[in-house]
Amino acid sequence: MNQWEVFVMDMTELAEGQDIELSIRTLNPGLQKYTYKRVRAQVSSSLDKFADQLQVRLGRGQLSSARYSIKVIEEIQRIPAKYL
Amino acid sequence: MSKINAPKSNREFIDACIKAGDAVRIKQEVDWENEAGAIVRRACELGAPAPFMEKIKDYPGFSYFGAPLSTYRRMAISLGMDPASSLPEIGAEYLKRTNSEPIAPVVIDRKDAPCKENILRGKDVDLCKLPVPLVHDGDGGRYVGTWHAVITKHPVRGDVNWGMYRQMMFDGRTMSGAVFPFSDLGKQLSEYYLPRGEAAPFATAIGLSPLAAMAACAPSPIPEPELVGMLSGQPARLVKCETNDLEVPADAEIIIEGVICPDYKVEEGPFGEYTGYRTSPRDFRVTFRVDCITYRNNATMTISNMGVPQDEGQLLRSFSLGLELEKLLRSQGIPITGVYMHPRSTHHMMIVGVKATYAGIAQQIAQLAFGSKLGPWFHMVMVVDDQTDIYNWDEVYHAFCTRCHPVNGIHVYKNTTGTPLYPYATPHERKYSIGSKVLFDCLWPVDWDKTNDVPTLVSFKNVYPKDIQERVLSNWTNYGYPPVK
Repeated sequence: MNQWEVFVMDMTELAEGQDIELSIRTLNPGLQKYTYKRVRAQVSSSLDKFADQLQVRLGRGQLSSARYSIKVIEEIQRIPAKYL
Repeated sequence: MSKINAPKSNREFIDACIKAGDAVRIKQEVDWENEAGAIVRRACELGAPAPFMEKIKDYPGFSYFGAPLSTYRRMAISLGMDPASSLPEIGAEYLKRTNSEPIAPVVIDRKDAPCKENILRGKDVDLCKLPVPLVHDGDGGRYVGTWHAVITKHPVRGDVNWGMYRQMMFDGRTMSGAVFPFSDLGKQLSEYYLPRGEAAPFATAIGLSPLAAMAACAPSPIPEPELVGMLSGQPARLVKCETNDLEVPADAEIIIEGVICPDYKVEEGPFGEYTGYRTSPRDFRVTFRVDCITYRNNATMTISNMGVPQDEGQLLRSFSLGLELEKLLRSQGIPITGVYMHPRSTHHMMIVGVKATYAGIAQQIAQLAFGSKLGPWFHMVMVVDDQTDIYNWDEVYHAFCTRCHPVNGIHVYKNTTGTPLYPYATPHERKYSIGSKVLFDCLWPVDWDKTNDVPTLVSFKNVYPKDIQERVLSNWTNYGYPPVK
């Protein structure tokens, strides 16, 4: 199980039952902790629906009491090829 | 200038601070996740010695130095002065040195540059190999650059710019940063690189000598490499980057090289800011792609932890902003006695002392200051007379509360340039860097009769004859009072 965290300005950004794009950061212990990935994912307020857990912070870093489970469908490469 | 004995590197500065009792060695292991940041924050809030953290969890061989310039004592040490120097003395020395002849930097061979002792290129490049701290709980990420210089060069004019633009680690090869549109780098990106879709080379230098950091932070028109030379009395030692033509401080602890991607933004923030709040929300900001990392053996990463006063974000910016504004006003022939920004104002209030010899002088001062390149960084100007000690808040506050006419003395300027960091600004103003400004004119109007209209200040030094003052002062302890320090 992986632990992830996401920053949102509004909880409606975490729409359930559909594929959404998110920038999530890993909370797994280790040197990579707090680094980000851009992903296509599904989230659910049912904590046992998906294997990974998602914690939520609001725009100025406030930790939300809302918790989600998350399924990362794929990692998205946003960066233009000319910069790779 | 040859007598200046300022620390030439971050390492010399740490040694000088420890010797003066202005830094402490922390030998027990410290966690990069929150703990190091919390130590720095508490040291700032207590005005305590700077923490030199010698053992970092997960990162053997690295160390942290926090709150490098969050006190005037450490600022004096950085300039090679007596740590007990007063603020006016430090300010006078800064003005003297920065009004001297420029001293050009020297470029040394890379084999002599300590910052090249370790080099990571290609697939070895990974920011996670550096002890990048999580400075505040709830920050948007681990911040690589909190006390550093982002070095760029204008592609046509060749101007070199060192700026302290905060940088967050997004992933092992990517940083995102807050670069405001009115800043030197912001203008360079919007005017040149963005229209062409070209990548802009950059280098981030961390663990600079304190005067190099001061130069990167100072809003001076003098190119930073020369400014470092003027402040330290000797040429700055630079070395060429590995992957671009930029020159970086050879004695810096860590150098990160790469390109800024002007047409591709990633999320940055939130971050604890110099105003004492997290104001600017998470947003899409400037992207830095990393191509190479070089660092010294046993590298020390510097940490500035911004929050409520006082840290170097407030102290050094207040110091250098105030003095650069003083230069501006003097260059215009305005009879000022000085300019001071109290660090606790988070450099939002500029206090100016002036001999009011003509009408409208306070407005002239405010318009010059707000209209200058430095204007976006503050929004209040308070003008007091030449009899008020601008460094004495009690006197300034008294002048403000008694001489500033609620109607005639307060002047508001709307729709100016602001920053997204102003806590009082509306969300719309923050998003578009829209500001507003206010002048508090605490001068007696020049058209008042000085004998009959201007009230008399009732104070010990103003209403008693000189001989009475001297008698009372010389007998003070004889009266039974303890000596006044």
